[in-house]
Amino acid sequence: MGYGLAGGVAAPWLKLGAAPLGTGVTDTEIVLGTSAAFSGPSRGLGIELYRGANACFKEVNAGGGVNGRNVVLRIYDDGYQPDPCVKNTMTLMLEDQVFLLFGYVGTPTVTRVLPMLKKFQDRSMFLFFPFTGAQPQRQPPYGDFAFNLRASYAQETGGLVDNFIKVGRDRIAVFYQADAYGRSGWAGVRAALKRHGKTIAGEATYKRGSKFTSVMRRPVQILQQADPQAVICIGAYAACAAFARDAVDLGLRVPIANLSFVGSENMLKLLTEGRAPEQSAEYTRWLVNSQVVPSYEDTTIPAVREYREMMARHDPAPPAELVTEEYTPFQHSFVSLEGYLDAKLLVEVLRRLGDTPSREGLEEAVFTVQDLDLGLGERVSFGPDRRQGLQTVYYTVVDGDRFVTLDDWGERFSLDAPDSSAAS
Amino acid sequence: MKIKRLFQKTLFGVIGMFGLIGVSTSGLAIYTVDGHLSTEYVSNSRNIAKTIADSSVDILLNRDLATLQSLIDQFLGIQGIKYIYIADETGEYLAHTFVPGIPEEIRASDPQSVETVERSLPGIGDCVEVGSPILAGEAGTVHVGMDKGLISLKIQQAVGHQVWIIAAVFIIGVGAGVWFVSFASRPIGQVLAYGTALANSPTRDTQDADDVLGRNDEAGDLARLFQFFARAKESDAPPKASDASPKDADAS
Repeated sequence: MGYGLAGGVAAPWLKLGAAPLGTGVTDTEIVLGTSAAFSGPSRGLGIELYRGANACFKEVNAGGGVNGRNVVLRIYDDGYQPDPCVKNTMTLMLEDQVFLLFGYVGTPTVTRVLPMLKKFQDRSMFLFFPFTGAQPQRQPPYGDFAFNLRASYAQETGGLVDNFIKVGRDRIAVFYQADAYGRSGWAGVRAALKRHGKTIAGEATYKRGSKFTSVMRRPVQILQQADPQAVICIGAYAACAAFARDAVDLGLRVPIANLSFVGSENMLKLLTEGRAPEQSAEYTRWLVNSQVVPSYEDTTIPAVREYREMMARHDPAPPAELVTEEYTPFQHSFVSLEGYLDAKLLVEVLRRLGDTPSREGLEEAVFTVQDLDLGLGERVSFGPDRRQGLQTVYYTVVDGDRFVTLDDWGERFSLDAPDSSAAS
Repeated sequence: MKIKRLFQKTLFGVIGMFGLIGVSTSGLAIYTVDGHLSTEYVSNSRNIAKTIADSSVDILLNRDLATLQSLIDQFLGIQGIKYIYIADETGEYLAHTFVPGIPEEIRASDPQSVETVERSLPGIGDCVEVGSPILAGEAGTVHVGMDKGLISLKIQQAVGHQVWIIAAVFIIGVGAGVWFVSFASRPIGQVLAYGTALANSPTRDTQDADDVLGRNDEAGDLARLFQFFARAKESDAPPKASDASPKDADAS
């Protein structure tokens, strides 16, 4: 069997089988459905998002649950492939009859699920906080069936383009995954450049599912012909790390930006593990990754302190039933922090549903979230025309063995900066 | 010896006939399958391109390129489709399936043309490309590239099946031919044997002689004719046994 469908995995600290109260809700629990990548080259994303969310759900359940009901996650592996994701979603909606869908990973997967939500709109099935910044779940005709917490890819790519242009790098090329995710990011870069009267300097693609061992020399060579001053990558960590490696090897020494979806820690691990410090520094010197959550190292932020405490207290493990390939979890990561924040906001929405939660009341409950502080400093609000909670994009660069916040673009990436002499 | 030569000629005839049938029908199959498949391919490609074009209108107008990409990615799963790309009314490529990039040959072509063209693209192979306008070309054009290699494969499969059938029929035909030749030549052998025996001893009748003389076909007629001439000669002057060789008898 290619991808999961090996049966849902209920969170092990809970028991199923209580008397049903409504679809996906019993006297003792609320069942959420997830389809995400727990296998394949992008498994790190699904695993870390799950771990972060679980840290929150474990804490909530340990404190008595949501209005007396434990939160249960029923999860399936889709390997970051659309067809298995569609099958998993059908199973979650029609067989498992979960209360809502939560924590999906990826644009090519989510864009295929959205029409299903529209098809079954009479069931009031909503998708909460997917790990993608693509536009389809943010705008008609499917925007009404999803709620987003993170900033969009358009905001991420827009911020990257604006900052590159500020430091004099206006020849921007794009390296992207040949699918809906890549296209979404490509469209974001294109739109941002258009605002500055520019166009994409060059573009190259790669096939979804490419591994770090893949040779990315040809895409690098294609982009080199365009003589870019910066490259924005819209991909997953394995392929983007391979691209960054081959770019440096082939002498393309320009800033290489990655979006939040890339999975920064996994990317950094691939580029540095088993290498001499000098080589690691060379491969990571040019990286600048946008994030939709603040640095998990910044403990001045209350939400980060809370996240770190929950991760330490519950130490959520990857779902052993679905994760069959080798994977070493990170103590902290941007992805698991996002998962934690997603779960925290979802719990708040579930609380607002009261003692008799129903799907029909979900949307109204979400819209009652106004100026909610998740501990980030940025307040979250939802409404009929506002289905995305957070708007802020953060930028990070590698410092040693970790990503840290980028404070000064000019100092690091200006064409006049000391290390930029070899650029272009 | 003569019967073997007759058999060989028959066998060669059968082989030649089957060879001719095999070559001519294979050629006809290649011509027919190639023509039909090519026509069907272009027709299917046009239908697919039109379907994508029709489905793309709202998506394009909403500028939702991720959904547009998702749409063409789904069509890429259809057997035979090698690539799809969509260009807007200005000629900009809004979505495509090329990895690692759009081939130069396509970049050099007119993205708004909907004419059927054959392309040989590096890393992709030989393709037939068709186009379909979106909103009569006002919103862009969809292009679908179909794998010509698949047509060749289908032809190979069709001809291969045909060769298998012809080979099977050939083996059965040769077997049947051998049996028929053997069956048909048996009375001739009997007549030959009777004639030889008659030449050696015109007055002696044997059981074999009764068999061949009792036949009511051409072999029986020939044997009775031999007997008539032998007895007629016997009544004039007994012939020498050495004068009645099998060759002479056969020649008569």
